[in-house]
Amino acid sequence: MHIPDGYLGPQTYVPLYGVSIIFWSIAQKKLKKQLSLKHVPYLGMAAAFSFLIMMFNIPVPGGTTGHAVGAGIIAILLGPWTAVIAVSVVLIIQAILFGDGGITAIGANCFNMAVVMPFISYGSFKLIKGRAESGKRMTVAAFFSGYIGLTAAALFTAVEFGIQPLIATGVDGRPLYAPYPLSVAVPIMLIQHLVLFGIAEGLVTLLLLKYFLKHERDLVYAIADPSGNK
Amino acid sequence: MENKLPSFLLDQPSPVSFKQGKGRIKMGFLEEGIHHLAQLIKKGYVQWELSSGSGLFQKIDARVKVLFLLFFVIIVNLKRDLLSELYIGGFIFSLALLSRIRIVTFYSRVLFLGFFLGFLIAFPSAFNVITNGEMVGPVIRFSKPINFWIYHIPAEVGITREGIYGVIRLTLRVINSLSLSFLVLYTTPFSEILRALKVLKVPDTFIIIITLCFKYIFIFSKTAEDMHLSKKSRMVREATHAEAREWIAGRVAFIFMKTRLRYEEVFKAMIGRGFSDTIKLYGFPKMRTGDCYAGTFLLFTGVFFLFI
Repeated sequence: MHIPDGYLGPQTYVPLYGVSIIFWSIAQKKLKKQLSLKHVPYLGMAAAFSFLIMMFNIPVPGGTTGHAVGAGIIAILLGPWTAVIAVSVVLIIQAILFGDGGITAIGANCFNMAVVMPFISYGSFKLIKGRAESGKRMTVAAFFSGYIGLTAAALFTAVEFGIQPLIATGVDGRPLYAPYPLSVAVPIMLIQHLVLFGIAEGLVTLLLLKYFLKHERDLVYAIADPSGNK
Repeated sequence: MENKLPSFLLDQPSPVSFKQGKGRIKMGFLEEGIHHLAQLIKKGYVQWELSSGSGLFQKIDARVKVLFLLFFVIIVNLKRDLLSELYIGGFIFSLALLSRIRIVTFYSRVLFLGFFLGFLIAFPSAFNVITNGEMVGPVIRFSKPINFWIYHIPAEVGITREGIYGVIRLTLRVINSLSLSFLVLYTTPFSEILRALKVLKVPDTFIIIITLCFKYIFIFSKTAEDMHLSKKSRMVREATHAEAREWIAGRVAFIFMKTRLRYEEVFKAMIGRGFSDTIKLYGFPKMRTGDCYAGTFLLFTGVFFLFI
């Protein structure tokens, strides 16, 4: 889902940089207020943990393995605003150090995976979980938080790809950037994530959350803060 | 350079004997995960060693290189014709040569990623189902065009000249963008790149968070590798899927607790050294005349590429 350089025109990547900067500023202010002096090492830790989650391949039923994008579980464990900074830092490091995602697309990638995904995952987890503290409802909430969050991020990515032929064309009317129209980009990205990657993300989120609930319940932000107002 | 790498990075993973089927699994996925971690540390070492070389780009101030990267990546993405992309590619190649980068290692990484991120993603758009135009390579012929919902598949499906042009343009863009990123990365210590982000007005706090994260990643990658090796050495029977999942979830939780402990320690150390929540990175020294010349040259070259 990491968008490389060359697929988004400036009409798309410049505004998305702007939106991401707004979210980074809000997240930074919120966390600084909550954590005071601790916020810098705390966010460094959260980002490193986010990076490492992505490195673990987990066997999923069906004989294959998958790894999480991790934004959903990070949002549940540490809170959505922490996830905004943590996942953004990871995406920036991945883009600069590993060529995973483009330099011009950092704003878009951060918006999709570090803003949309954590908030949708966290919101759907709180919504589905309701007042349940354990049991099947919690299990369903954990799975769908990862599943819905990743699928929503994929949808946003697909829309960003799909609008390129509409907003950035040459004099001959042909697309200058991503060539696939919305009618192709959206179904392809959605089908992949609805039937494969979303399920893997959901299972990984569920598995990790179950472990934390069993052994380290107090460390889970979404449980420790039932109002979700943090 | 190879003999400076730690031995654990040079060791080949030993073959494992776990069976597959009926809920029993191979440990391959673990090996794969650990391989990723080792690769990560290895790339860090290689980048660190290359960036301390004595080529052309290594001598230039990191601020100039960061601005060069941003300026040229934007130019690469704005160019619409193949010839301009090829000229820019040639220019980057000559810079890489003058910087004494190991060209084979450099381009094998660039072309590998360029093939996947550029060519493979874009290739289906070469067909007339996506890009109309002059057919140069018919692939399949139906008795009549197929229409369903909003989609239309023509009677003859194949590759078009315009489609190929688009695919090559996207592939070249991706390759040039990657080359620029890796050129700067291979010739500049990562810490210097981060510090140079100050010229783009990135707040000091954010730069410190990225720096801390980068350091933590290396520390905990090694921890994760050690955990895996200790587990592997103690395994005497096959692992089931459920056991493997439980183990990995447990290790992720363990890493989480380790990172929390480490952050508490770092925080205490920061307080102990008088940290008062005011973060200010030391500025760069004044830019040398040579850096100014290099910056001006790169600026004019960029403007030239922008208008050809």
